[in-house]
Amino acid sequence: MARSRFSITRLPGFGLIAVLTFVMLYLPIIILVVFSFNAGVSQSRWDGFSLQWYQAAFNNAQVRDVSLRSLWLAVTAASIATMLATLAALGTTRVGRFPGQTMIYALINQPLMVPEIVTGIALLIFVAAIKVQTGYTGMGYLVAAHTAFCIPFAYLPIRARLETLDNALEAAAADLYASPIQAFRYITLPLMVPGILAGFMLGFVISLDTVVITEFVKSAGQDTLPTYMLGQLRRTVTPEMNAIATLFLALSLIVVTAFFLITRTRGR
Amino acid sequence: MSHEIDITGLSKSFGQGAAAFQALKEIDLTITSGEFFTLLGPSGCGKTTLLRIIAGFELPSTGTVRINGRDVTSLGPSKRPVNTVFQSYALFPHMSLSENIGFGLKMLGKPKAEIRATVDEMLQLVRLEAMADRRPSEISGGQQQRVALARALAPRPRVLLLDEPLSALDLKLRKEMQSELKRLQSETGITFVFVTHDQEEALTMSDRIAVMSAGQILQLGAPQEIYNTPVNRFVADFIGDTNFLKLRVKAVDAGMAVLELPGGKAAQASLPDGMRPATGALVTAVIRPEQAEATGADEGDLHATVESATFFGTDTHLHLTLADAQGFVLRRQNRPGQPVPAPQSRLGLALAPGALRVLED
Ligand SMILES: Nc1ncnc2c1ncn2[C@@H]1O[C@H](COP(=O)(O)OP(=O)(O)OP(=O)(O)O)[C@@H](O)[C@H]1O
Ligand SMILES: [Mg+2]
Repeated sequence: MARSRFSITRLPGFGLIAVLTFVMLYLPIIILVVFSFNAGVSQSRWDGFSLQWYQAAFNNAQVRDVSLRSLWLAVTAASIATMLATLAALGTTRVGRFPGQTMIYALINQPLMVPEIVTGIALLIFVAAIKVQTGYTGMGYLVAAHTAFCIPFAYLPIRARLETLDNALEAAAADLYASPIQAFRYITLPLMVPGILAGFMLGFVISLDTVVITEFVKSAGQDTLPTYMLGQLRRTVTPEMNAIATLFLALSLIVVTAFFLITRTRGR
Repeated sequence: MSHEIDITGLSKSFGQGAAAFQALKEIDLTITSGEFFTLLGPSGCGKTTLLRIIAGFELPSTGTVRINGRDVTSLGPSKRPVNTVFQSYALFPHMSLSENIGFGLKMLGKPKAEIRATVDEMLQLVRLEAMADRRPSEISGGQQQRVALARALAPRPRVLLLDEPLSALDLKLRKEMQSELKRLQSETGITFVFVTHDQEEALTMSDRIAVMSAGQILQLGAPQEIYNTPVNRFVADFIGDTNFLKLRVKAVDAGMAVLELPGGKAAQASLPDGMRPATGALVTAVIRPEQAEATGADEGDLHATVESATFFGTDTHLHLTLADAQGFVLRRQNRPGQPVPAPQSRLGLALAPGALRVLED
């Protein structure tokens, strides 16, 4: 019985395609990481192990500068986006059906549908106009753009979490003399926490990662880590860039792993 | 006995205009303090809707709800001295059992020491002292059910509403919880309003039962009363097993009718209040399967042919055909050495005096 069932693993070429896919996915990254430890400057010839490029990266004031800006921006934008996404999720799940509900769902998820380059150019024109009018050239533009961009990524896990919550829990709280605010404070909010954390982390990673939006919105001296790296690559590529990229990769891996651990325990 | 809940002229419609559906129709109901009151009826008859209106989760379309004399019709659930045991239990998954049980008292603003004392008392009442610090996901279904009960009892409500609280449990646990519920009810003296669609559960546990169908209460009374004197065909059919016989009236006298039985003999049957069928009319008479006795083939009131026999352990159900081809089920208690009648064998039936009753259709 089990032998005759269709199985994709028995199709000709399955193994080859699988191996090629993984090679394509991971080999370039492995090479990048390996050469970040190269003692020489070459990206293709191994000259022995060394941490000198990491040392160079740590001592590079500009790298430190853009890294801190990236982190600050990601934390700020993800925090604001998570707060707004939480309210949006409550407003679209904890209410009766209202006209335009699907429409609002689509509108909130704009960044998932509109090509990033289009958003980038639109923001460029829009922000330039405001800069001319107000003369303000601070970080506000980047914060606003990143926040808007992060909202759907924060919204989706929070909404998913809310949808798994039994409505009877809030009814039970009301039955046990809790006011609507108390029911939210003691029941709904604590149970939303895993969704909120997951939303925050997704937003954080997305903000940390985005190049296009930042590139179009930033003013002079507002480079983030990705846009700085892009700028450097236009000149010479030294393994210092490999070291920075490896550290960046490590940070992303940590955040994404935390995200998975948190969402995995959400059934409890 | 004082009135705990007074429901008058209560109706509930869902939807608007032509699509409107009337889930409850003009219900009048009084529930007495300290009684174990059961709402019994088939799926969709409006039991949950009635319970939700008493709890305050749903507003009635018309009518009033009074609790202990106070009109609470427009009050929300948090303002009524009523607690609910939900069918899904709805335990708070992020809180320990103690915190779950203490939640109502905390919301009422009771001092910490008092909350702790009551929680301990409740844990003891439902015999879960050893598990106070566990989460709901770390205990069994029957234990969760007891926590739901303790949580609803802790604020000492005047009334406890229970919506099919035992339906998720297996048979053995169900029996255990039935007696546990009865014990809790008599120990606390709290009025229980219990919803079930299981007639046996209703009969064994209740002080009084309201049998509902299609948004109406058809009969209200003690279990014996409902079982022995069902007011109509629906109640007779829904509660226990019943034989329905179409019989001709030979004579009528003072609440009693003499009916002609298949095979020619006659028997007395009680008539419902206000019913006076004409002589010669066909009426529906009912008799419970255990209220007749098998006799020799030529004795008794009725003559029957055995079609089949089903063994149930404590008793055997004999499926019979009467002289005029109407079916009849006889429940016979099993005794050691008693032979099971063979199919197509003939026997007589003696009806217990007073067992035959005429019903309005
Ligand atoms: N919110 C609602 N909107 C529309 N119809 C409803 C709503 N709630 C209940 N009903 C209808 O009202 C009727 C009574 O429902 P109710 O839940 O009270 O039945 P029940 O007796 O509790 O049934 P069960 O034994 O299956 O739980 C059903 O026909 C149901 O479809
Ligand atoms: Mg129900």
